[in-house]
Amino acid sequence: MAITTDAAALSADRELVITRIFDAPCRLVFKMWTEPEHLVRWWGPSGFTTISGRMDVRTGGVWSRSMRAPDGRVIRKHGVYREIVMPERLVFTYVTDDPVGNPGPETLVTVTFTDLGRKTRLTLHQGGFESVLAGEAHHAGWTSCLERLAEHLSANAA
Amino acid sequence: MLPDHLSTTYAALADPTRRAILARLAAGEATVSELAEPFAMSLPAVSKHLKVLERAGLIARRRKAQWRPCRIEARPLKDATQWLEHYRRFWDDSFDRLDGYLAELQSGEQKDGDNN
Repeated sequence: MAITTDAAALSADRELVITRIFDAPCRLVFKMWTEPEHLVRWWGPSGFTTISGRMDVRTGGVWSRSMRAPDGRVIRKHGVYREIVMPERLVFTYVTDDPVGNPGPETLVTVTFTDLGRKTRLTLHQGGFESVLAGEAHHAGWTSCLERLAEHLSANAA
Repeated sequence: MLPDHLSTTYAALADPTRRAILARLAAGEATVSELAEPFAMSLPAVSKHLKVLERAGLIARRRKAQWRPCRIEARPLKDATQWLEHYRRFWDDSFDRLDGYLAELQSGEQKDGDNN
């Protein structure tokens, strides 16, 4: 089968995990994610500016944000909030459109805020379509199918 | 930026029936009628889904066999995960800025009192 070598890369690339400690209390760090006037001050690499956006911070609410890159291109990012547990956890889908407006892959971002007193440990997980599907499968009841798919891909990587 | 074929992959994956078909094929090759069975769907309806999956390169069908069994292809799934690396840079840069912004905010708070 064609799967042999590709599946290893698939499992390796499946999820992005970034951990950072911020020198600020948990509730303040959480607020940076949920209040637009704070979010625009740090969201995106330097040189990028937010030109428009909306965020409806509740489960099922939509967020979108258009940013201008240093080279003038406008990039739109958008998604749906899946879970909001203040000030501990924030889960949302995240899609980046290409410059002509075609949506890129849907990803799932889970941000966890751990209270360390005056500091906060932030852990960001971002998964590809498999994590989006896993959340969906949870409701639709086809988790076992999906697990079989994952098992199959990793078995073929060996 | 994302190559065009990724849009095709994601459009193909956007449908729950097609994802279930893919999950079924992970267990092994299957014919159109075997795939139709759990969905209470007509064969033409299933064939339509299979065409979308095939165009996206997510499945392949044996050309010569009479029943043309389908099998899963992993490459497009792998390509669909590589963009994650682009996001790593995005977050690292953003978090550097967040770090600076938080420092700025808190030094302001000390002067003005805590309004949060």
